[in-house]
Amino acid sequence: MRTGKNPAKNGLPAYTPQRIGVALITYIPFTEGYFEQSLEIFGYQLASLKATTTQPFDLLVFDNGSCHQVVSRLKELHDQKQIDWLILSRHNMGKAGAWNWIFASMPNELICYADSDVLFRPGWLEASLQVLEVFPQAGMVGAQPSFYDVMQGAGAAHLPLVETGDYQLGEYLPDKELVDEYCLGIGASDELAAQFHANPLPLIIHPASGVKAVLGASHMQFIIPRQVARRVVPLPATKGLLRAETMSLDYRIDELGYLHLSTTSSYVFHMGNTITEHLLRELTAVTASPPARSQTREPSSRKASPFQRWLALLAKRPRFQRILLRVYNLLFRALYTENSD
Amino acid sequence: MRLGQNPAKSIQSVPQPAPVTIAVVTYIPFLSGYYAQSLEVLKTCLKSIWENTEPPYDLMVFDNASCQEVRAFLEQAHQEKRIQYLILADKNMGKGGAWNFIFQAAPGEYIAYADSDILFHPGWLSASLEILGAFPQVGMVTARPMRTPETFYNRTLEWARCQSEVTLENGIFIPWEVYRQHVLSLGTPEEQARQWYESRSDWRLTYRGVQALAGAAHFQFTLRKASIQPFLPFEMDRPMGQVRSLDEQINQAGLLRLTTCQPLVTHMGNQLVGDALSELRLGKSPRRRLVDAPFIRKPLLALYDAIFKLYHQ
Repeated sequence: MRTGKNPAKNGLPAYTPQRIGVALITYIPFTEGYFEQSLEIFGYQLASLKATTTQPFDLLVFDNGSCHQVVSRLKELHDQKQIDWLILSRHNMGKAGAWNWIFASMPNELICYADSDVLFRPGWLEASLQVLEVFPQAGMVGAQPSFYDVMQGAGAAHLPLVETGDYQLGEYLPDKELVDEYCLGIGASDELAAQFHANPLPLIIHPASGVKAVLGASHMQFIIPRQVARRVVPLPATKGLLRAETMSLDYRIDELGYLHLSTTSSYVFHMGNTITEHLLRELTAVTASPPARSQTREPSSRKASPFQRWLALLAKRPRFQRILLRVYNLLFRALYTENSD
Repeated sequence: MRLGQNPAKSIQSVPQPAPVTIAVVTYIPFLSGYYAQSLEVLKTCLKSIWENTEPPYDLMVFDNASCQEVRAFLEQAHQEKRIQYLILADKNMGKGGAWNFIFQAAPGEYIAYADSDILFHPGWLSASLEILGAFPQVGMVTARPMRTPETFYNRTLEWARCQSEVTLENGIFIPWEVYRQHVLSLGTPEEQARQWYESRSDWRLTYRGVQALAGAAHFQFTLRKASIQPFLPFEMDRPMGQVRSLDEQINQAGLLRLTTCQPLVTHMGNQLVGDALSELRLGKSPRRRLVDAPFIRKPLLALYDAIFKLYHQ
């Protein structure tokens, strides 16, 4: 039975989510072979995310049935308040299955998704937000030029935009270094790399602002507005990682009339499953950048008096906590139970 | 860089969600005072789900920033594959925030929600699903007959009165013992419970051979996932106390709010039944009367609440 009043009913403020929520999916079923360095790489990702994200954000990690060692590490990170929401699934629900959860439930206005092997660079958020602002019809915005047209020319959402006269189409040939880096990240063959170097990317331009974006976005990392995310789920999810299933995201976004866009510079880097000298240099450069602003925010707009602030500080001390707890227990027994001994 | 092919690409099939997702929200910030027995209550709640629910179902637990001991128990249960989806929130998002999350994320066609202080009895799920399957346009089904304000189910009665296939009866259909058990579990004195019981009656609906009572409660209910989507997200910025909007919205939308005729779940509250129940029967001692005097109780309560707020921060 219920004895006493639930203290949570006292009108205390609940946590209000940040505007930006970052969602990462982890799937490291064992720590050998292909996945030998994956946990370490995930650590690099978190470090780069924290170092380069200049606005407060909530971090959600969806673990898609990783091994015990990985789950233990994630729990540690959650205990250390590095992860705001940790979802532990007993089974691998597939990438699309995890997306179904993330896109349906994340409360943030902008949802930034990334695979667990993506390194963030300074400016990734600003560049993505600029594209979102100039192209309000954007459904997905990646922070790296998209080299693949996953829809193979079938995308049509951008066409009405050009007819308005406010936007222009063009072509864009990225720098050699940018293409080389992309090829390195995905482990592209020489033949494939040659294609990437030779073929320009489709571009959309907003002349009034001068902002340009590549038409197309990768599944590796992107921002999707919550209002779009809610409309694309549920996606078919029957396989671990099937291109046809993840591509259904692109088709739904296009059908809804939203654009796939990406930045013209690379603000994220695909680390893959191998730690290389190049990656370590990148990481050093990224984490040496100015520290990000604090993620934490006051849970409510109510201002505390100096005495309340002093009390709150005091309450963090273990000895004072013990005293408070004893007083609290005494009060509870006195207020709500018959026998206070 | 990527070396080799990601083995995930060779996974030919992934487990598909069960048709029913049972979702439980927990919030036990510490194991003292009001929450002293809450972990034991939670363990009893989950054990009763595991023992008294017919598969297939997936169990989802949303922990709304509980203390380490509670998280450790949940993590252990997840490790033992008794919880399929465990969501650990670092900050309390409120009951509404947790609802927003689970009602949108739960992969099942049906969602059976419960607070973490509910005891489940055999047959609770099948009885709830039977009503959901038999009646059209059901909003929510609670697996225990209860008396709730008619303003939260007047549309159910309106619907029943218009249907020739529905037999609608007014009378005493909830036995005193069933009513008393629940009302006392909320901390209501027995005298008050008796008074309430004698002053009200119940509405019973029979439709195509299936019976249900009008009314439902938000501490435990089963619904179709699709039926709740139009009401999401709930605007809730406090940990508790705003969840009645679900009852109101479901009723206003003309969806039925029903309960089973048999008590198939029990509200445990924050204490396992025992001494506390007998205290209610015995009445107040002189010490109790002294503490309940307003000039003493008010400052004590203020101090009690202030300490909780310090913890919450």
